Amino acid sequence: MTGGRLAAWLAVPMRWYLGVLFIEACLHKIAHPGSFALDIATYDILPLVLINITAITMPWAEVAAGGLLLVGHRTRAAGWMITGMMAVFLAALSIALARGMDMSCGCFASQGAVDEDPISRLTVVRDLVWLGLALFVVAFDRGVLGVDGWLRRRSA
Amino acid sequence: MKAAVVTNRQPGEISGWRRSLVEAVAITLLSVAVGLVVNAARPRGLPLIASTPYQILVPCPEPGGPVEPVSADDPELFSPRTFLVDARGPAEFQAGHLPGAVNLCYDWLDPVPEAELLALATEIASSGATRVVVYGDGGRPDSGEHLGREISGRGIKNVCFLEGGAPAVLQEAAP
Repeated sequence: MTGGRLAAWLAVPMRWYLGVLFIEACLHKIAHPGSFALDIATYDILPLVLINITAITMPWAEVAAGGLLLVGHRTRAAGWMITGMMAVFLAALSIALARGMDMSCGCFASQGAVDEDPISRLTVVRDLVWLGLALFVVAFDRGVLGVDGWLRRRSA
Repeated sequence: MKAAVVTNRQPGEISGWRRSLVEAVAITLLSVAVGLVVNAARPRGLPLIASTPYQILVPCPEPGGPVEPVSADDPELFSPRTFLVDARGPAEFQAGHLPGAVNLCYDWLDPVPEAELLALATEIASSGATRVVVYGDGGRPDSGEHLGREISGRGIKNVCFLEGGAPAVLQEAAP
């Protein structure tokens, strides 16, 4: 097996993992947009006019990217979306940590769950790992075990 | 003779990367549209722009230095090497306190005067004690813990606060 093919196969569990992760992360946000808006406001980064719009729309970008990664369709595009979102999350986390804020990251639950998911340097490391996985998928995924590969074989 | 240009780049490779970025933007825009439609269809959808600022409750960074909890049954609590500080009000202190304890009231609404804190820190430093135990009302939050942080922040090391505060230790001391 060549290095490229090995990387393409390695990308499969990574995109499945990221897909499940992002779908899991967006469920609470879609169900409770008000809580998610409060989470965003807590970071104290976005102006008030952008908070609700972000809370309303971002979870749907997460579910789209997660779903596409899971089924292996438009995986590179979905990988770019995850990469972009992870970059934004990392920037927000770093700013909150630099300010010394003691809060929940709001990634999977609301601020009420601060004891379960408080922000820390470990949260930054965790997000960096996820960012790395997303970049790996962007670079090496070739549609193995996914809709993209199936469509390619069908059209060949 | 012209040298042949050899490249490993696949035809359309660059455009493939570009296309995936364009697709990413398109999917994101589509997701935004779906989010807006779903929100509009919801009976209790969020207004697109919040009319009033959110009431965010993020604890401010704790002032002062580190403190460690110590339980009421700690055998070293009444050791001569332990400096005891009572963070309760003067009336409560007069009503009953641990032997040798020094009173410095921690008021939630009025910061402890810096001069009093520094005077206490100086007294502790010159006492020869190896540990400071601060006890307060034992509430949540605990005044003893917060006064302990203030003292610790003035350069005093090994500052502890009593878990449960005065009620716990006075109960322990009772026959």
